[in-house]
Amino acid sequence: MKALMSVAALMGAAGILLLAAMTVGIVPSNTVRLIEGYMPVQVIAELTLFVAGFTGLSYMMSAMGMAFPRFWQGILFWAFLLIYLKFRIYPPIPFSVRAMYGTISLVAIFMWVSANEEDWKKFKQPIMNVLDAKTGGTKALRIGYLVIIPLLIGGFSYNAMVPKSEEPIELRTVHPAPPASTKVHGKTYTLQTSQNPYRVNPEGKYDQEYSNANIVEQGMGRLMKPNANPWDKDAQGYLKYVREGGEIFYQNCHFCHGDNLNGRGLHAFAFNPIPANFTDPGTIAQLQETFIFWRVSKGGIGLPNEGFPWASVMPPWEQHLTVDEIWKVVLFEYWHTGYYPRTWD
Amino acid sequence: MKNSLRLKAGAFLTTAFGVILVSGITGGLTFAAETLPAGFKKGDLAPAPSADMIEAGKRVYFTKCVWCHGVDGAGDGPGADRLWPRPRNFNQGTFKIRHTASGELPLFDAKKPTPGQNDLFETVTHGLPGSAMPSWEGILTEEQRLQVLSFVTTELVKDRKFTDKQSESQTVLQLGDLKPIPATEESLKKGAELIVEKKCVECHGADGRGDGNAFNLKDDWGFSIQPANWHKCWNFRGSRQDPYNVKNIFRTFSTGVNGTPMPSFADNSTVEERWHIANFVNSLCEREADGTPLAIDQLTDKPKVNFVLSSGVILDNAEIPADPENELWQKRARRIIAMGGQITHKPRNFVNRIDDIWVKSLYNDKYVAFMFQWDDRTKSVAEGKLPWPPTSVNIDVKEQDPKTGEEGSIASRQNNYAVYNDAVAIETAVKWKELPAPIKPRYLFGSNEQFPMDIMKWEADGSLRAFKGTGWDKDFEERDNYEESSKLLFSEWKNGRWTVIIQRPLGNKKDQDYDEDTFFETGQYIPTVFFAWDGHNGDAGRKMAVSAFYYTFLEPPTPQEAYIYPIVIAVGVVFLEGWILMRRANKRKGKNV
Repeated sequence: MKALMSVAALMGAAGILLLAAMTVGIVPSNTVRLIEGYMPVQVIAELTLFVAGFTGLSYMMSAMGMAFPRFWQGILFWAFLLIYLKFRIYPPIPFSVRAMYGTISLVAIFMWVSANEEDWKKFKQPIMNVLDAKTGGTKALRIGYLVIIPLLIGGFSYNAMVPKSEEPIELRTVHPAPPASTKVHGKTYTLQTSQNPYRVNPEGKYDQEYSNANIVEQGMGRLMKPNANPWDKDAQGYLKYVREGGEIFYQNCHFCHGDNLNGRGLHAFAFNPIPANFTDPGTIAQLQETFIFWRVSKGGIGLPNEGFPWASVMPPWEQHLTVDEIWKVVLFEYWHTGYYPRTWD
Repeated sequence: MKNSLRLKAGAFLTTAFGVILVSGITGGLTFAAETLPAGFKKGDLAPAPSADMIEAGKRVYFTKCVWCHGVDGAGDGPGADRLWPRPRNFNQGTFKIRHTASGELPLFDAKKPTPGQNDLFETVTHGLPGSAMPSWEGILTEEQRLQVLSFVTTELVKDRKFTDKQSESQTVLQLGDLKPIPATEESLKKGAELIVEKKCVECHGADGRGDGNAFNLKDDWGFSIQPANWHKCWNFRGSRQDPYNVKNIFRTFSTGVNGTPMPSFADNSTVEERWHIANFVNSLCEREADGTPLAIDQLTDKPKVNFVLSSGVILDNAEIPADPENELWQKRARRIIAMGGQITHKPRNFVNRIDDIWVKSLYNDKYVAFMFQWDDRTKSVAEGKLPWPPTSVNIDVKEQDPKTGEEGSIASRQNNYAVYNDAVAIETAVKWKELPAPIKPRYLFGSNEQFPMDIMKWEADGSLRAFKGTGWDKDFEERDNYEESSKLLFSEWKNGRWTVIIQRPLGNKKDQDYDEDTFFETGQYIPTVFFAWDGHNGDAGRKMAVSAFYYTFLEPPTPQEAYIYPIVIAVGVVFLEGWILMRRANKRKGKNV
């Protein structure tokens, strides 16, 4: 038990030191990098490690006879959570969301410190001490609180009443429900039954297994399979069409969606909503190929209201590309990100 | 390169005259050592990368790079023709950002990804801001970046060899050992004098906005390029994602930019002079009012954007000043409006030369005014009458074909377009109150007749017009009686920057038309979009730069209550505290009894 706890304590201390150093900038802030696309899992894992670390720290300290009062444990843990949310998570989350998480964790901490009568008493003790003010120190503290709290609350309420401008929060549905069918260049495509005509093997037959076997490899870099180069002169079927799709992508799409399909193209910084990041497992990896076909063909202007059609600069590509070209681009996007399109069943 | 030429010349002479071989070579060497520019040291060529690295790099190249740089690395991939600047042609071994002397190959060692000692690795890692080359850090591993560079430097650089000791040399700027001179006022003053003396201003312009020789500059391949705008350091190719770092400027100034008209100043300036110039150039980059650098968004390497443009109130019915130097304008906070190319509908603008606008706003009881400031290297006013009426939206400007061959590419056509008017427009939603937030009319000229857009457009011919937009492909409608009440307060192009102030009515039911004109109300968020046209880029109609939706927010004056209520609340809290203390005291008394 003790060995386990000391390992945890060591881990907790190291973790908190590293986090502090990264926040202040003593070590580069990307020392422990948040991996794009896996951030939620990573954050939960990190927090779990920290909780384990803190448990170990607290155990070790009380074992060494330097027990840390429950009151300060609660407050410090809450402060830690707030700091973690503000400085660790990137891209930063807005204050309103942080406030929500902060409130929830505050409630959780209260539940923890009031889990049994004794704990709760221990937690309350410092507060009661200040209220009773039996020693000189607590007396000074009490007077301090008497003055500071009204000032703070008055200041906050003044701050809240002075006219301010804050960006209104607008919640957009990124993947709205698709229509049953879509009409592009005079032909109707039923989303449930349509297939990408270029997802074919070298013999020209629709072959999802073949194409899935030839996409780029998942993992760092997302590189093509060694023997599946779309730029091979002899490439036939799927890989040949991937190259043609890529040519169209780099003539039309990369300006916003970026050279690595991560939504960080040349013009991306100017637009809001920002262009979709296809390498994120939450975009095309979650969608059917025909859904992408519909979104690409109709663009921002073809979105239902919950998708903010008034603000999206996504072109209705049917104005610029043929149906074949759109299918090829979709093919390329799945190849380059290494994702399989979702199927309807 | 320079030194090796000298050596070759020396060798030629020795054979030609048949004099003592040894003295000839040593003479050549001492000669080279004497002329080593200040701050540089002789370096060694790096060893060749292993065959494994090259083979692995080929796989990276054909997954990620081939799309722009082409199968043979000639900078002619499928994406190349719509890019400006064009992707690098590797074949000649000409690389822009280096620590090596002008004309030399850049530093590259496949085994040493050390910052400051591996130019190509840093270029791939940080990308080249202001161009389409992204940062590959976090996308490719360090190993993969070294692999792809091994492939590029051995297989795609065809005219030169990174390991050939006969023809190549490395004269390396010792940037790590050179201490920057603090950017004191004196240093900046010296720098300001030096940029005139060294003729920097001839290309970069009197104010450094890259407007000096904006038309005639070509790179080694004959493509049009433009001098850097010193006010946008985040677009410096060599900024290495650290745009306010003076060392980057010092390096570029010392080593030049190979393949472009930007020379190295290592031979004709001392290290100290170079620091003064770098300090001065760095000081010109846009900053906050208090002098701190702008916050840069890590994801895009551009300044961070705030989507609320707040307009300051002028009380007591005073007029809005027409002079941008007026204190009211000077004190007003400015907002950066990020601009992208309009690539939603034809004709698309793949290369927008205006990529941001600074906007300030003021209002009084009748009018609201906007001050636009943006950098444009050329003042463009169309000669004669334009072939279409001002209301025309669907005008015939051809967009760039996707694949044209180098002769038809954007990079070779730049500065060769028919010249139209520079222009800027502000578009606000009409009847925005009837639309439940966040619904707005479409950003591109409105949704339909029911929810149109109010468009005020200023053009460089001096006109200020008011339109109603009812859809992206619908010609504008002129608005009645609106232009009379609006006013162009100021417009000037100076040293590569436009400043335009327009004033328009706040809107009221008596004088304006509720169905056509935006009514501005204090404390409300009014959806706003900005458009800009660069006449020398052939911008007209929908070929333009656009912003996302912003909000214009007229700051209400601070209400009386804001001073009264907080005091009342604070007093209330004091009473509450007293009550809690009394209760506690009573309880304890009770216990004691």
